[in-house]
Amino acid sequence: MALNPFFLQGSTAEQGLVQDLVNEQLRMYGIECHYIPRKLVTSASIMREVIESRFDEAFPLEAYMANTDGYDGNSDILTKFGVRSTDEATFIISRERFEQAISPFLKEDGEYTLSNRPKEGDLIFFPLGKRLFEIKFVEHEKPFYQLKKNYVYELQCELFEYEDEVIDTDVTAIDSTVQTDGYIARLVLSGIGATATASTGVVYNAVNRIFVQDDGYGYAAAPTISISTSPGTNATAVAIMTERSGIATGKSIDRILMINPGNQYTGIPTVTVPGTGIATAGITTLGSVGIVTITSGGSGYTTTPSVTFVGGVSGAAVTATAEAVMVGGTVRYIRLSNAGTGYTSVPTISIGAATTIGDGDYIFNEPVRFASSGETAMVKVWDAGSKTLDISMITAMQLQVGEKVTGETSGAEYIVKSVSYNQPNDFPNSEYVADQYNDNQTFQTEADDLLDFTEGNPFGTF
Amino acid sequence: MLGTYFYHEILRKTVIGFGTLFNNINIRHKNDSGNAFSVLKVPLAYGPMQKFLARIQQQADLDRQTAITVPRISFEMTSLTYDSTRKTGITQTFTAKNNTKARKVYMPVPYNVGFELSIMSKLSDDGLQIVEQILPYFQPSFNITINLIDSIGEKKDVPIVLEGIDLSDDYQGGFESRRIIIHTLRFTAKTHLFGAIAESSEGLIKKVDVDMYADTDRKRAKRVQRYSATPKALKDYDSDNTTVVDGAISKAVTKIKLSATTDISTGERIIIDSEIMKVRTNDTATATLTVFRGYDSTAAAVHEHNATVNILGADDDAEIEFGDDFGFNESTSFFTDGKVYSPSQGIDV
Repeated sequence: MALNPFFLQGSTAEQGLVQDLVNEQLRMYGIECHYIPRKLVTSASIMREVIESRFDEAFPLEAYMANTDGYDGNSDILTKFGVRSTDEATFIISRERFEQAISPFLKEDGEYTLSNRPKEGDLIFFPLGKRLFEIKFVEHEKPFYQLKKNYVYELQCELFEYEDEVIDTDVTAIDSTVQTDGYIARLVLSGIGATATASTGVVYNAVNRIFVQDDGYGYAAAPTISISTSPGTNATAVAIMTERSGIATGKSIDRILMINPGNQYTGIPTVTVPGTGIATAGITTLGSVGIVTITSGGSGYTTTPSVTFVGGVSGAAVTATAEAVMVGGTVRYIRLSNAGTGYTSVPTISIGAATTIGDGDYIFNEPVRFASSGETAMVKVWDAGSKTLDISMITAMQLQVGEKVTGETSGAEYIVKSVSYNQPNDFPNSEYVADQYNDNQTFQTEADDLLDFTEGNPFGTF
Repeated sequence: MLGTYFYHEILRKTVIGFGTLFNNINIRHKNDSGNAFSVLKVPLAYGPMQKFLARIQQQADLDRQTAITVPRISFEMTSLTYDSTRKTGITQTFTAKNNTKARKVYMPVPYNVGFELSIMSKLSDDGLQIVEQILPYFQPSFNITINLIDSIGEKKDVPIVLEGIDLSDDYQGGFESRRIIIHTLRFTAKTHLFGAIAESSEGLIKKVDVDMYADTDRKRAKRVQRYSATPKALKDYDSDNTTVVDGAISKAVTKIKLSATTDISTGERIIIDSEIMKVRTNDTATATLTVFRGYDSTAAAVHEHNATVNILGADDDAEIEFGDDFGFNESTSFFTDGKVYSPSQGIDV
């Protein structure tokens, strides 16, 4: 039997009025939450589950919290897997507001599955309790067809269970909810450059410098410099070549530096330069700087560092001078241009600092790239003071000590000093609190004293 | 009756040994191209803990923003059962060494410790990755060697037997609650419990006397000869550093020159490096000894100039420690008194 045509039971205008009233009520009594849609990036077939999810957007949306007395659920409970929060909440949002304020953006983005309604798996950020709720069920027919239409969605939510989803909405309050959650590997970094160090001794009756009398011409390569022998240690030297203007072919001798000034010379040694060059040696009976040995070549040098000799002389003395020879970012040799005179004790060698490009601050949620292993990861927590970088989403556990790690957004660059794949139970900065459910390292440490693992931990490597 | 205090922490050690098997399990998430975009090390903890500590540690910030992070592995000890199939004689003892002392230890009591390992994962693929990395090692048991009691150096193989696997995946039902996937693996660790360990009252036997009789009639026969054996040191204990070698000594020479030989007597044993020599003659004027080389089964060796010479004497014999190699000083004597030795009184009567 047909309906009475004289009663409309809800005209479009009436429905619009009710929707407006609902919207108005929600704006007055609601809470400004954020609606965070889920992007389904990678899904698994057969098992039918989403392996990779991203949450890149957060839309402010007023919502009425139906459970006015507090969260539903059993609050916090201690389970065999540690403390679990079971807070539940029911949010009521306006159907029209969702369709006007959120749906068009989701549709335009094109990467979201379902854009016309709130969907299960999306998140709601409740700002008062700073909690991240996951929508478990969207009830769309409650209240049931008032004036032939439904005006609200009831979102039944539970607290979000986090694994390794990326939450990068640019709303700090939301992104930081999972900053210290999930699997985190810890790196300790160091600046890229390391300053070289060297040592020397004091020698007597050594060649203090070699004068180039005639720089010669036409040298295809640096000539071998010969110095007459000493009853003690023979001096050795090397020629540094240069191109002179006006001479078309070959090179000339620019200067002669000493590898070893020798010692115990009783007279001025003869310096023999093959070809057209001529050089003579100077000698000092007083103490001078001996052969310089590199203790550490350092790293990260982009320009040749200066070398200075500090202390060790007294009275009318000549301070020794030297030049560094750099190979592949490290100091390989130090050659003496003047071994100095009047040294009574061993001077300290000061080598210019390495270029430090190890600076900058990594930004939370930015991708970082590792130069040698080619791995990538996401920044969780960066502590500039202790140079501790906590990362997640690493692509393989094959990070190398000594490789460069670059922040793709911040441009920060440092060198990896140490790697720990064990999730940290604390952070160097007390601002961050770790969920201390992780005894992997504790078990390993304790077991090292107890277990006879001469046959190897079967789960130790793979 | 009971009440001798001892606590070897064997059950705790068994828990640690069991737990460490699962402390390095990783899972990988791969994208559609087959490349891993996230590798996670699965956190592991012993489930039971003090409640207030759980709250303080895991909810230091009261506003917990998420429910829990997954995946996680938890385990707990669920049972302790006597294993009669591994029973040994209850009065059987063995002697173990603790540093220099002997320890008397009763045979351990076999107990089975039940463990339940639970794996919670968000994705069923995560759970499968974890379980699949564990199962192949258990056929159905996997042995770990635990140093159960450090003081006696007692290492025991503890087989850990996989008894069964349960899978709970409550995906059915209303949409209001979350799907929770838990794999539960039940294990039995076959460990041993030790009782109190005492210092051995028996101590070390330092001397053996054997009295021999010329007749088998024990009532009338009188003892005739006594054979005595005492331990003989085969290395230097007291570092007497009596003298040093004067000039290198080859392997074959029997006349060796030392810097001085006045403190060395004929018939004494000396040790240079690890070679023992017995002194036949001693010419103190030239500080030269004539010796038997490679004595007491040691190997004759080359000795450098200034090598230390130690005397192996009674002082060294007295310091032989439990577990050391040693030889025997033997002596024989004859009796004319007709007495017998009373072991209870320790004298001849």
